[in-house]
Amino acid sequence: MAALSEEVLLVVKRVRQRKQDGTLYLMAERIAWGPEGKDRFTVSHLYADIRCQKISPDGKAKIQLQLVLHTGESTNLHFSNESTALKDRDAAKDLLQQLLPKFKKRANKELEEKNRMLQEDPVLFQLYKDLVVCQVISAEEFWANRLSINNVDHSLSNNKQEVGISAAFLADIRPQTDGCNGLRYNLTSDIIESIFRTYPAVKQKYGENVPHNMTEKEFWTRFFQSHYFHRDRINTGLQDIFSECAKQDEKGLKSMVFQGVKNPMVDLLSLEDKSLDEGYGSNSTAPSTSNTNKTVKENSNSAIIKRFNHHSTMVLAAGSGKKADAPNGQACETSSTDGNSRDSDFFQPPIKKVKIQDVIEYEDLHRENGKKTVALNLKKSDSVLSGSALCTASCAIAALSPGGVLMQALAQQAINQMVPNDVQGELKHLYTAAGELLRHFWSCFPVNTLFLEEKLTGHLEDMFQMAYNKFHAWQTRRMMRKT
Amino acid sequence: MKLNIEGLLVYFPYDYIYPEQYSYMLELKRTLDAKGHGVLEMPSGTGKTISLLSLIVAYQREYPLEVTKLIYCSRTVPEIEKVVEELRKLMEFYSKETGEKNNILALALSSRKNLCVHPEILHANIIVYSYHYLLDPKIADLVSKELSKKSVVVFDEAHNIDNVCIDSMSVNITRRTLDRSQANVETLQNTILKIKETDAAKLKEEYRRLVEGLKEANVARETDIYMSNPVLPDEILQEAVPGSIRTAEHFVGFMKRFLEYLKARLRIHHVVQESAPQFLKDIFEKVCIDRKPLRFCAERLRSLLRTLEIADIADFSAITLISNFATLVSTYSKGFTIIIEPFEDRTPTIANPVLHFSCMDPSIAIKPVFERFQSVIITSGTLSPLDIYPRILDFRPVTVASFTMTLARTCLCPLVVGRGNDQVAMTSKFETREDFAVIRNYGNLLLEMSAIVPDGIVAFFTSYTYMENIVASWYEQGILENVQRNKLIFIETPDAAETSMALEKYQEACENGRGAILLSVARGKVSEGIDFVHHFGRAVIMFGVPYVYTQSRILKARLEYLRDQFQIRENDFLTFDAMRHAAQCVGRAIRGKTDYGLMIFADKRYARADKRGKLPRWIQEHLTDGSLNLTIDETVQLSKHFLRQMEDQLGLSLLTLEQLQSEDMLQKIAQIAHQA
Repeated sequence: MAALSEEVLLVVKRVRQRKQDGTLYLMAERIAWGPEGKDRFTVSHLYADIRCQKISPDGKAKIQLQLVLHTGESTNLHFSNESTALKDRDAAKDLLQQLLPKFKKRANKELEEKNRMLQEDPVLFQLYKDLVVCQVISAEEFWANRLSINNVDHSLSNNKQEVGISAAFLADIRPQTDGCNGLRYNLTSDIIESIFRTYPAVKQKYGENVPHNMTEKEFWTRFFQSHYFHRDRINTGLQDIFSECAKQDEKGLKSMVFQGVKNPMVDLLSLEDKSLDEGYGSNSTAPSTSNTNKTVKENSNSAIIKRFNHHSTMVLAAGSGKKADAPNGQACETSSTDGNSRDSDFFQPPIKKVKIQDVIEYEDLHRENGKKTVALNLKKSDSVLSGSALCTASCAIAALSPGGVLMQALAQQAINQMVPNDVQGELKHLYTAAGELLRHFWSCFPVNTLFLEEKLTGHLEDMFQMAYNKFHAWQTRRMMRKT
Repeated sequence: MKLNIEGLLVYFPYDYIYPEQYSYMLELKRTLDAKGHGVLEMPSGTGKTISLLSLIVAYQREYPLEVTKLIYCSRTVPEIEKVVEELRKLMEFYSKETGEKNNILALALSSRKNLCVHPEILHANIIVYSYHYLLDPKIADLVSKELSKKSVVVFDEAHNIDNVCIDSMSVNITRRTLDRSQANVETLQNTILKIKETDAAKLKEEYRRLVEGLKEANVARETDIYMSNPVLPDEILQEAVPGSIRTAEHFVGFMKRFLEYLKARLRIHHVVQESAPQFLKDIFEKVCIDRKPLRFCAERLRSLLRTLEIADIADFSAITLISNFATLVSTYSKGFTIIIEPFEDRTPTIANPVLHFSCMDPSIAIKPVFERFQSVIITSGTLSPLDIYPRILDFRPVTVASFTMTLARTCLCPLVVGRGNDQVAMTSKFETREDFAVIRNYGNLLLEMSAIVPDGIVAFFTSYTYMENIVASWYEQGILENVQRNKLIFIETPDAAETSMALEKYQEACENGRGAILLSVARGKVSEGIDFVHHFGRAVIMFGVPYVYTQSRILKARLEYLRDQFQIRENDFLTFDAMRHAAQCVGRAIRGKTDYGLMIFADKRYARADKRGKLPRWIQEHLTDGSLNLTIDETVQLSKHFLRQMEDQLGLSLLTLEQLQSEDMLQKIAQIAHQA
């Protein structure tokens, strides 16, 4: 029986688990479920063990809540009280939503870290399987060796650089038809974060409207329905809450354009020295740029182009961790007061000069200081001048390098085709496992503690024996298969 | 190093020299020796500018009486600044080697605010400025007319020089121009009235000064002090000013009448095209304006503005334009056409009449330059086919040569993609450009390349409208989304400031490893002025053949003129023009020997001999039969192979001083220059 002193925060009756009716208890530190009529819990999870909760979509017949643990296991809870099922579920969900984050921080960081390491590194995972799961060495020993690395890693990962945003994140939410005349968008927290980081205006809207004016779901539904998300953005209706975002984006883009570019070499405005005076020139090729003469299609096309530039700029800015534009145009005001606007080229010449000097430099025409290049003595230097000899030489090298024409018949076949892939894989696993054992072995030297001596004389020897046996078994198996 | 170029001591501020630089200097020296003009093509990034500067400066020092000045013209401000920087480097090398203090005065006019004072320009040994200062008669008359005959003029990046010439001589008149001119004329009239009350003598004096001025100009021209001005015809220097425009009041009245006539001409409903003589005949019949006073208009107005002491001439730009037009139309009976269009072709419902007075003959603007200066060098990375420039600019060069890039490794890889993997031909040809399959294949090409090319890819389209349409359909088809998985996408827009920002972000994305694609337009600002060195452009894709919009009446008139006057067939000229722009586009990515890049020509027509043959030799020689008419898959395979090769190879093709002294070597170098 659970400790009676625990404070029970919420009790929900008629919750089914594995087709058994029961009662759900949410307590201060754990969530528990007991079957009807029995006074013990068959399910009990510390909040710290729970990675996340998931709920069944609205409109589904079964109203469920799923708890996913750090171990990957999950528990499904089915709210079966007909009249209040949805309310019950939401009450539990909301409470969990508040409780889980508190415990998340307290969660076993080490376990999580180990988990992460295994997930991120398939080689390590295989090694884990080969050594720990096969009981060659114990889990503690396996990790004992890693943890020091782990700690170092950890200090690094604190100031790890932020992960950038995929430029195509909007493509990942391609809508799918749900079969009854509707569209389904799959949103993950990653995509939402990408949207927020790339389009701060949307984040702002979210903050303003959710949850006071609309639910989260409603917000995203509107987002996907809005012209802001779609195509050309020229038809944003007035009642569309995102029409303001489009305007802010436009404003942001304008202020960026107004600030001008820092690199004078890409400034198209100052490219031409003296353009012709108005009225001169044959403008036979210049298209009319006035907006009034444009058709709807042309307008929509140029809106798409603008949008791509904006999107790429924002993704780039989000990735480099700096704000690209202040939505309210503050950034532009401050920077234009520091005197570094395009007109005052007081600050520009040094940058420009360096850039230009960089461009005109022919580094290969300088004699290198310090290390001398070895002169290539060519017998037929005339063919060098025509370029043919070196071309032949480089072609020959290319043909002989992996993937080249000449190598395809020999070396490449020897590795890739003569040995089947699965054999290569198995061999690789055995090799890394053996390598890991050797690492353990050598890390015991110098033997200056009793523990190390024990390790060396005791089970390390067994381990090697075991590893050798494994290899031997594999070898025999291969031989058998061959014959 | 110090070089001996056929007996001339040349200081070259580097330890090594590329073989083609040596060869280039050799040809250049021979051109200067012959006191003639030259056409020299050498790829960018092979140190053309420093070769030019080193040789000409050395020549000036050796023969100070033969060559007194170097006038170096380039196109864009960054290019001018680059020249100045290279010159500075050369000067430093001179002082270091000779121990002498620098006694060469160089002057750069790199923007209007630097517009230098007139006497300085006469004393400078080297002048670096933009084409316009020499080719635009309005500016040339202020800045360049007194430059010494014994100057060497260099037009760098000269592949578009004919268009610069034409633009400087063409005039467009709209209703707005006429309204503003009207206002100008009224201001003039009021000013004249005011002066007449206070200072009548000044106006009387004016006529005397006008005649005096013309007389002086005549003397100067006859004695060769000034470069001639195409807007100041010889005739008016010898003739008396016609009575109808002699006094200020008469002249203003005359201009009023002329403006009324032009206004009437703009009231039309259908397109009118006529020659200059037809226009003069019509104006005489309708309003009795004679050819002779028209010819004096530009000079007459200038004199009047001087007399009235008008501070801001820019306010009178409209009436100046009209007066220039009057002089040009009455001076040249050939080489110009007048087209009056009531509306833009795209918007036939909106009345917007324009009178185009279009120059069709680039040789008119450049003629004074060829006539005045003893050596004029036309040079660029792309001047092929070389023989066409002397023909359209109407001059006889003593040297015509194309230099290839000597390469220790083949750092450029031109490929012609002609088909999609579905075998559908890839082309921007008018009939099929809206074809769904073509657009999709273009999209697939971009997508495939975005997956294999590191860092930056630049793609050029044939026109802005074409790009807009393709981008829209790629968007609909989801192609761009997939491209975004590999790289960020930036697109040129008609707005220069917007595009500048896109360019900067593009570079940032290449720099931080994300990789990016820039979609751009041939003949646009990017294609003409921005370099994509190293990782900023590992591949250039040219979607289609960038033919000029052929439906324009002005172009049609120009083609006709070329055919009749220079026996250049329309198709030859159009192809030449398209290929020079294509070459410019793909050449943007290779800016030196340490650079490398793919040049993807995505149109099956590039495989034809008439197109391929018009590419610069340094590109052509790397186009083998195996790189023509490829499918997308084949292109990807070849590109991968090329990129892999480039990643682990580096070679040099340099000459040391010792090598240059061997007789044998010199003979071989001579072969680099390909005499056209």
